[in-house]
Amino acid sequence: MKASSDFPSINAKEADGLKPEGTPYKILIVDDSIFVKKQLSQILQSEQFDIIETAGDGEEAVEKYKEFYPNVDLVTMDITMPKMDGITALEKIMEFDKNAKVIMISALGKQELVKKSLLLGAKNYIVKPLDRKKVLERIVMVLKRT
Amino acid sequence: MRVEYINPFVESAVQILKETVSEDVKRGQLSLRSSIASMLGVVVIVGLAGQVSGRVIIDMDRQTALNIASRMNNEKLTEFDELTCATLTELANMITGKSVTKLHELGFQFDLTPPALLTGEKLQISDSKVETLVVPLELPEGKIEINVGIKEN
Repeated sequence: MKASSDFPSINAKEADGLKPEGTPYKILIVDDSIFVKKQLSQILQSEQFDIIETAGDGEEAVEKYKEFYPNVDLVTMDITMPKMDGITALEKIMEFDKNAKVIMISALGKQELVKKSLLLGAKNYIVKPLDRKKVLERIVMVLKRT
Repeated sequence: MRVEYINPFVESAVQILKETVSEDVKRGQLSLRSSIASMLGVVVIVGLAGQVSGRVIIDMDRQTALNIASRMNNEKLTEFDELTCATLTELANMITGKSVTKLHELGFQFDLTPPALLTGEKLQISDSKVETLVVPLELPEGKIEINVGIKEN
């Protein structure tokens, strides 16, 4: 296996998914649509983020967050989902870990719900259709803000 | 039905299709749908409820649906599996979500139901209680018809 020093470093950009010390950020993706899950995974994996798990509804999201805690750096949270919606799941995650970093993923037309989630502690939001640049920008911004 | 209701849906469909499928989207002639109409074969229905009620139907044939889902996933999809259906449903979510934002800005308040996807040969629809307008959109991937039926409560 090649060590990272074997690769040329001139003009090489650090992958967005890596922490300063070189280990990947750990992400939990929550969405009921396998299309959106796949899209987000592809964008994040291309920048070397580690998708530790995906969840298809709010209940599963809360369970998975607790299971992986403290080894989750960020959660992407859909708003409209079966069983438990993303706002309730966000509330439960924030109750469990007040420092949780959750970014809401929303279709347009849900501004009131996005506002509510920001008041409840979500760190940012991304509106679909998902644009690679926008997704990475928002996620990196939240991760780098301490 | 007031024609101003249909424009936000058609404009949103064109914008979302340009962003996610193809830059080349041509808008065809608006027409009034007959009370019993044949559908192209893959139908996504989203209901509207609130100050107005009705539904938006996005209709296309099977091959167009597969072409569009393939384009949105950057991979060739050849069957109606979970990924294809999730992709088409998400397309409808994005289009109707954007339209609702535009209509809210014009002062109309209502909610959307989650999209339902139906597929089948020789599908017919009959909803004579709601007057429905149809706008065809032509893409390299095929033709999509946007059906909008809205009445004020």
